Amino acid sequence: MDERMSRLELLQHTDAVNELLARYGVKFGIYKNNEFREQLFPFDAIPRVIECEEFAFLERGLKQRVIALNLFLKDIYSKKQIVMDKVVPEDFIFASSGYMAECEGAMPPKGIYSHISGIDLVKGKDGEWYILEDNLRVPSGASYPMIAREFCRRSSPNTFHDNHLEDNRNYAALLRRTMDYVNTGGHTVILTPGRYNAAYFEHSYLAEKTGAHLVNGSELMVEDDKLYYVAVDGRRERVGAVYRRISDEYLDPMNFKPESLIGIPHIYDVFRKGNVALINAPGNGVADDKGIYYFVPKMIQYYLNEEPILSNAPTYLPFYEEDMQYVLAHFDELVLKDVAEAGGYGVVFGRSMSKAQKEEFIALLKKEPRRFIAQEIIDFQDLDILEEGSVIPRKADLRAFVLMAEEPVVWKSGLTRFSRNPDSFIVNSSQGGGFKDTWVLSQ
Amino acid sequence: MKRLKFDYFMKIDYSEAVSLCHFTIKCFPQNTKRQRVEGVSIALSPAVPYSIGADSFGNRQIYGRDDIAHHSFSFRITGKARTGLSAWEEDADVDQTAVFRYPHGLNQAGESLRAYHDKIGKELPEDVYGKSLCIMHRLYQDFTYEKGITDMNTTAEEAFCLGKGVCQDYAHILIALLQMERIPARYVTGMLIGEGASHAWVEVLHEGRWYGLDPTNDSPVTDAHIRIGAGREASDCLINRGIMHGGGTQVQTIEVIVSEED
Repeated sequence: MDERMSRLELLQHTDAVNELLARYGVKFGIYKNNEFREQLFPFDAIPRVIECEEFAFLERGLKQRVIALNLFLKDIYSKKQIVMDKVVPEDFIFASSGYMAECEGAMPPKGIYSHISGIDLVKGKDGEWYILEDNLRVPSGASYPMIAREFCRRSSPNTFHDNHLEDNRNYAALLRRTMDYVNTGGHTVILTPGRYNAAYFEHSYLAEKTGAHLVNGSELMVEDDKLYYVAVDGRRERVGAVYRRISDEYLDPMNFKPESLIGIPHIYDVFRKGNVALINAPGNGVADDKGIYYFVPKMIQYYLNEEPILSNAPTYLPFYEEDMQYVLAHFDELVLKDVAEAGGYGVVFGRSMSKAQKEEFIALLKKEPRRFIAQEIIDFQDLDILEEGSVIPRKADLRAFVLMAEEPVVWKSGLTRFSRNPDSFIVNSSQGGGFKDTWVLSQ
Repeated sequence: MKRLKFDYFMKIDYSEAVSLCHFTIKCFPQNTKRQRVEGVSIALSPAVPYSIGADSFGNRQIYGRDDIAHHSFSFRITGKARTGLSAWEEDADVDQTAVFRYPHGLNQAGESLRAYHDKIGKELPEDVYGKSLCIMHRLYQDFTYEKGITDMNTTAEEAFCLGKGVCQDYAHILIALLQMERIPARYVTGMLIGEGASHAWVEVLHEGRWYGLDPTNDSPVTDAHIRIGAGREASDCLINRGIMHGGGTQVQTIEVIVSEED
């Protein structure tokens, strides 16, 4: 059987794989109108295939970017040299909702801030890859291609025999290594807010695959500047690394939001003393803000003295008068993003606004220029998906995962998300999109 | 220069038992350019073990937990301070002060404060210190001291609209107004002779030095003030912060005595 044939064989198993995914509870939770609904994350069996050499290029660019972002975070929460040198205006740090003054001066174990980075890219019709955004807080999604690959192998083993691709089942080992590298002594745990979280499936799956305990906040306690896991029988065991799947604000009611019921009182004080690793470190929001995105290529030049390997989508900051003029003159050609929003919210296309909406938006833009970025609309390459027996094109992106231990490692796979709506460029899972496996060819 | 002794006592009585509580106490005056502190002692009741640390604003803190059922929680901090040794505070690293130029949390301004700033902004002197004094004087005329109108979570904008409040509100409003002038300003907690409770004021950065302004008393900080801690706004340097399980209704008592040494 040739490669193509065996790929076709895989497609015949789409329903079987989706059934398995459903049975294993591979779901994605969505909050809409204050109501929590869990829905299946639809899987499309046609893989995104990335050639070996092309991926090697992405790999170099992603490593470079994540190294620079980590250096930036270290700098921002200590000397702020990049601000002193006026490479990044201070407004984009101190007026950013992602900057947390509470994190000043607290150096994470081994100086790593972003252990797990989810970098979103798209491939344009011009064949170029563009970075769309960096996710350095708690990027989710690695579990979906992992489990999909597992089920695909099970239902169509020939496909994987005949195609030479990188095995993506090493994600758990990479993650484990990343967590162990910064562990300060004791267990490694995955902290989940519980089953009503959008990514609960992922929390439990990663715990199972890495062998880390899955815990909730009430099972952890702080005493004498150390963090402990409290077993059902009351026994206490030291914890040295927490892969926390809850956001900064809710992590510690004594240091951050006091009303948090899912956090661990004083965990941040333990972190500050260097007695536990928090993965990722609190405060990372200052580096993955949509406003700071504009400055990432400059960070690469500033910290590494290298030219960026991967490009950003062409971006304008209305904060700068010159860019504001450009944005107003080319409004219909641009997409505008609210820097404080995530998950595909707060994204509007100039061309799809009515006259009244446009006027209202421009007034807001002039009033709060710091709040928005504008980008050229990239014409993504469509990927084929299967729908009701026929193959149709849809917009898709790629979330690449970069794991930082001694050196950054790019996982040879990734989460390819596609929009199910033919008119939409927004592929976020919280907007109801689907996903594909990402194959990186090994030769 | 004054030689002062201080006694800070805080107690919470609960109507029902508290089964578990977590606490952080930031009530430790430190040696600064303005003051020298000595003989500080701490008494916690119940006498539970605690950790000692510092927050990101350099405030010293003790923190811990009590998981034995209790009906009250209290602490007493006593010591001596020589105050008024300098008219300003030195900043260890003036380059790191930009954070105090941006509004955060409770010192956010809104429409009303912005309109007020527009009104008073035109008649201000040029130099930072003179300008800060002027803004303080205006605020003192236009805002009334009254307890029970605002609470711990009232923002500068809300307090300003109410027109009345306590030292925390004076400080937040003054910070908001100064930040609109791009002047770095920070919130300071402390004690004051004759005050009976904790006090709060503001420090402004002028030519690399932090000057204390007490808007509640419309005056620069004097040797009657003992400085405890600082932050962007009140939440950064709360003297005591806690969460508890159980407890029913609670009554808090704070007694602060600052007097000149005999």
